[in-house]
Amino acid sequence: MSSVLEQIESQIANLTNKAVKQNTGSIRTVADGVAKIDGLSDVMYNEMVQFPGGAIGIALNLEADEVGCVVLGDVSELKEGDEVLTTGKLLSVPVGKGLLGRVVDALGNPVDGKGPVDSKETYPVERIAPGIIARKSVDQPLLTGIQAIDSMIPIGRGQRELIIGDRGTGKTTIAIDTIINQAKINKVGIASGDPKFRPVYSIYVAVGQKNSNIVRTVAALEAAGALEFTIIVAAPAADNPANQYIAPYAGAAMGEWFMENDMDALIVYDDLSKHAVAYRQISLILKRPSGREAYPGDVFYLHSRLLERSARLNGKGSLTALPIIETLAGDVSAYIPTNVISITDGQIFLETDLFNQGIRPAVSVGLSVSRVGSAAQIKATKQVGGKLKGELAQFRELAAFAQFGSDLDAKTKAQLDRGNRIVELFKQPAFSPIPIEQQVVTLWALQKDYYAKIDTAKVTAAAVSLREFFATRKDELLTQIRTEAKLTDDIEAKLKTACDEWAASSAA
Amino acid sequence: MATAKSHQHYAKQLAQLSLAADGSVDAERVAGVLAYLAKHPPSRPLPVLKAYHRFIAQELAKTNAVVEHAGAITDATLGAIAGALSQKYKRPVAATGRRNDALIAGLRVRIGDDVYESSVAGQLAALEASL
Repeated sequence: MSSVLEQIESQIANLTNKAVKQNTGSIRTVADGVAKIDGLSDVMYNEMVQFPGGAIGIALNLEADEVGCVVLGDVSELKEGDEVLTTGKLLSVPVGKGLLGRVVDALGNPVDGKGPVDSKETYPVERIAPGIIARKSVDQPLLTGIQAIDSMIPIGRGQRELIIGDRGTGKTTIAIDTIINQAKINKVGIASGDPKFRPVYSIYVAVGQKNSNIVRTVAALEAAGALEFTIIVAAPAADNPANQYIAPYAGAAMGEWFMENDMDALIVYDDLSKHAVAYRQISLILKRPSGREAYPGDVFYLHSRLLERSARLNGKGSLTALPIIETLAGDVSAYIPTNVISITDGQIFLETDLFNQGIRPAVSVGLSVSRVGSAAQIKATKQVGGKLKGELAQFRELAAFAQFGSDLDAKTKAQLDRGNRIVELFKQPAFSPIPIEQQVVTLWALQKDYYAKIDTAKVTAAAVSLREFFATRKDELLTQIRTEAKLTDDIEAKLKTACDEWAASSAA
Repeated sequence: MATAKSHQHYAKQLAQLSLAADGSVDAERVAGVLAYLAKHPPSRPLPVLKAYHRFIAQELAKTNAVVEHAGAITDATLGAIAGALSQKYKRPVAATGRRNDALIAGLRVRIGDDVYESSVAGQLAALEASL
């Protein structure tokens, strides 16, 4: 106890007598999470201001006679005439590995009841994105564990890949599967002791979602053992719009810490549609002029400055972004979706029709694209999956033609049959990411027609059986595929022997 | 139709007209403005007058420093503070003392939107915030 007193006494002794200058204002009105303040003549744009009772705000509207501030916190204690102080600082959040496994709010305060966050550094929430020279091209894969994506729409570390679709089409599931897959890869890689292995840490930013959904997501990550590599930034629907507006930037700041400290990170923004709505609400209350669909004129900049902070840096790490956008009735030509499509390096489009037909993940291969492409694929995946997108495109054309019920020649029937088998093969249950070496095996077997004699309806089960066979009896071969990352003649010969063995045991 | 913004703008112009050459509020000019408004009232005099009152209060606050003190303070000290602030802000500043025992010791000087904090209470508050 005496050492505690000594600590306080030394802190008091170190206090200087210098006068500290602060700029003040007084609240004129408070409504809907926005305070209009008289005074604050020296306040700067985006500066953090201090309200009585501990609430903080950000100065967003600097007008001739008043300052408009969004309040991040409880506004119920604020009243007209309260004094507001400038802080001279930008809004910052705690960053570092101490946040892994924690659920925090938009300001970095823990909300999971596990005590204070162990963080030694803070990063500003708003930051200028890295310039051109600081960047490196994207050529390292970020494996989602979802076959349809890793084989045909590959994502690289440092890329921004949009996940877009109607409600209930599996957007969040794809993001969570990706996070779970990173955790699985991390555990295998760390256990292997490979000094060149680079784990991927994940950040999941929940904006405007129901609290029950966030709880379910946290539970899914915890059950899969992925929470220890993940930071959850929660700004649920019950939070004020200012917190929902700040949350993605706070998450980006946490991701930038990993990127600048030579580590790789993945950030999921779920979802940016609600983020745009929160920003619209703030802007309308601040009486900023509204444009199309009542969004403010800088709604593009809202997302572009956020997503440009995801990059791969020269000599440092990377931050991969998976923004999510919800469309209405599949309309990808709406305002916010087109904005974000033009910013990102590709999109994964999920269709309701495919989902209802039982094709899950409901990825529309025709409308989905990755602008990084095969540069982000290991050679083994390119060898087995390079032609799949073209085959599926031909299949879709023929399937449309076959609907007219005309007689089909044998070649067309074979192509349709093969297309149906590929579609069946890409079906995958939720929260079950498939390791890349298993995907390679599955697709290699497809290319070598091991599923040709199996009923189309049973292809999915056959693929599961094949993967189980390899996991239980051919683990060495899987490890060899994973470490060499390409299919050599030796590996192909072993694959043939193993697949023949599986086919024989399945037939029996 | 006059909007709230136009009332603000009009009130701001009247406030500018109420300043003397050195930037301080001139009582005679204020009286002149009020007489003019009485003779030529705007469409909505209340919001204009309220805004005018606010702007004049802000201008007065820029030229009058309120020195809050816990113990005794001499006129010489007040004069020195006024002189220093006049030099800093490049306009005449008068200093008025106001006792505030909650400061414990030291001074807090408030001029316009700026607050110069060198009281013990302020430093303890800063210490609390840093902990």
